[in-house]
Amino acid sequence: MTPIFMGMVCMAALLSLSAPAWAHSDASDLQSLKADLVKMQNRINQLEQAQQQQAHQQHVHQQQAQQQQTPSAATNPVTPVSGVQFNDNMFNPSVSAIFNGHFGAFSNKNPAIAGFGTGEEGGRINDGLSLDESELSIASNVDDKFTAQLTAALSGDGIELEEAYVKSLGLPSGLGFKAGRFFQPIGYINDHHTHSDDFADRALPNRIFLNNGYRDDGAMASWILPTETYAEIGGSLLRGADFPVGRIDQSKPGAWVAYGRVGGDIGTNHNWLASLSTLQSRPDERKSNDDNLIFRGDSDLYAASLRYAWSPNGNNAQKEVTMQAEYFLRDEHGTYESVDNATGAIAYNGYQTGWYAQGLYKFHQQWRIGARYSELDPRNTPSELAGTVLDSSGHKPWNAAFMADWTNSEFSRIRLQYGYEEPAANTRDHQVMLQYIMGIGAHRAHAF
Amino acid sequence: MKRLFALLMFMLFCAPVIAHAELNIFTCEPEWAALAKEIGKDHVSVTSATYGTQDPHHIRARPSLLAAMQKAEMIFCTGAGLEVDWMPILMQQAAGANIQNGMPGYFMASDYIALMDKPPRVDRSMGDIHPNGNSHIQTDPRNILIVAKAFAERVSQLDVANAASYQANLAEFTSRWQANIQKWQARAAKLRDVPVVVYHNNWNYLIRWLGMKQIHTLEVKPGIPPTPSHLQAVLAASKAAGVKLIMLTPFDNSQGSQWLAEQINAKIVLLPFTVGGMEDTDTLEAVFERTLSILEGSI
Repeated sequence: MTPIFMGMVCMAALLSLSAPAWAHSDASDLQSLKADLVKMQNRINQLEQAQQQQAHQQHVHQQQAQQQQTPSAATNPVTPVSGVQFNDNMFNPSVSAIFNGHFGAFSNKNPAIAGFGTGEEGGRINDGLSLDESELSIASNVDDKFTAQLTAALSGDGIELEEAYVKSLGLPSGLGFKAGRFFQPIGYINDHHTHSDDFADRALPNRIFLNNGYRDDGAMASWILPTETYAEIGGSLLRGADFPVGRIDQSKPGAWVAYGRVGGDIGTNHNWLASLSTLQSRPDERKSNDDNLIFRGDSDLYAASLRYAWSPNGNNAQKEVTMQAEYFLRDEHGTYESVDNATGAIAYNGYQTGWYAQGLYKFHQQWRIGARYSELDPRNTPSELAGTVLDSSGHKPWNAAFMADWTNSEFSRIRLQYGYEEPAANTRDHQVMLQYIMGIGAHRAHAF
Repeated sequence: MKRLFALLMFMLFCAPVIAHAELNIFTCEPEWAALAKEIGKDHVSVTSATYGTQDPHHIRARPSLLAAMQKAEMIFCTGAGLEVDWMPILMQQAAGANIQNGMPGYFMASDYIALMDKPPRVDRSMGDIHPNGNSHIQTDPRNILIVAKAFAERVSQLDVANAASYQANLAEFTSRWQANIQKWQARAAKLRDVPVVVYHNNWNYLIRWLGMKQIHTLEVKPGIPPTPSHLQAVLAASKAAGVKLIMLTPFDNSQGSQWLAEQINAKIVLLPFTVGGMEDTDTLEAVFERTLSILEGSI
């Protein structure tokens, strides 16, 4: 186009220059001007032709180059010039946002789980149309020694800092240190973000014992052992301000976590991961059930988990079966107090358990189905606490969930889930959840 | 007693260091594992994260890879976003200082290749595209040679004691490989201008090398499987171009290809995408031999 454009500009310039001359011109002047214009038109035609020829030749050259090109180390990458420009925002961290929402319908109006104190986040998910927490996450290497990540959960209630931590980078021998607020490695699923979950809600023991997902402020050390088989040990010291801990006196760490994991492959098609972990805490005031139930004393949670994945030829993009199970035992010595029932502090010495097992089958690149069973055992409650939320009348709360989800791309997923729950004696809850999870921005890798 | 204690301590802490003479290389794909072995021979110990039958875009960051990464002294991957699904997790959790981005132990093959199909603009509505360009460089044997040279140079830097050996192995590999390329190109003359349909943009480098013509992908967009309306478009384009071949990797979804093959009476050819992708493809040479003989046999 350039020659034509140039020609037009020249003509316009010529016309504008000669315009005042026209006023005084005679016929011969007009004639010569006409001749000039004809010449110019010819010139434009010539230029156009030349350009077309050139373009054609270029095309042929490109084709030849494509067919005959012998790549060599000297070949420069064919990148647009814009690719090498420098901008200060090239150092911006990777940003991603997760959008989460659901419609929930529940036949039972009272979702309380009998026999247990439930933390603020451990309850049933909202009913009706609900926008769940939107996650905004930024992450980047700080320098050659540190990396950092910040995840904020945004909801109608405000902004909550879900995670904010710095972590060592590239330490020798598989050592790692982490400080800040982060999800704790207790059991399998607790240190995963909920957007990568396989079900619309978490299993009963995770809701009850870990407040859906237990995160805390503190510091953690981990070490991947130099063994053939994967083995990792680690632990953290934590502030323990809130459920499942709960401290008024936060001048000293209120809890600590220790974990060990082993995992490996069986042939090319099977992978597994097993873990043992514990959360040791001394809550001096653990409030639950809207501050109605208070525990003071020593609370120790133990967890065992197993996860297994199978895919034909190891090609999990097309087909995969995953199974996971977690078992929890919480041993407590101290006092429980029900404020509503004005029981005062009642001595409690005992343990409670819970477990779940789930299986998922990805039978198509975009489709998965799954089932999960979870159960809690509140065991014996002191007679002084009869009639409070801790009294389950011998009932063991349980839940069975079935889900199917469709994953259009790695960044979008729509899920339908049906659950049947008996949270308390003679209480039945039919649960239907339709959920979407979508992510934009930087691609985030997922742990096993 | 003191001496015995000292000896025991020495055995405990120093013996593993002495016993460990090979350079531990973590490769992301089996083609680079094979190449690392060609150049490194006995001086390197290689672990590959993916197998020939796995889609390297999507594997799980499984526990055994954390263990392998913990021991790695060098990582040898394709890069260009191919492993973005699983490498960052492994790197963050287990990689040592010498294999971090920008360090000598961090080697990305795609850094040395002029990548094809770098998109002029990127948006996720275009599917799971790679902003840096197509990363499946190993399907052109000329790229293998470029990467071999760059790798030999890098591994010689990391393991100076064996540099001469790496260079000798490279020289031997280069002359053998160049002869192979000549031979393969002569055989491939009749494949020129053959129109093909592929499932995913996995074969662009092979297709360019052999002078074949890619008419369409069965996928709607990268990572998004075929839909009926898209298949109609592929059918129309294939008919117009006279497509007789549908090329698939061992891990591609066969969805749609069977249907298209029946509609246009075309052959579905399964090609080894990399080392170990099919039986008898245990070396890089075998991969190209097998690829060519399958293609020759199908036209």
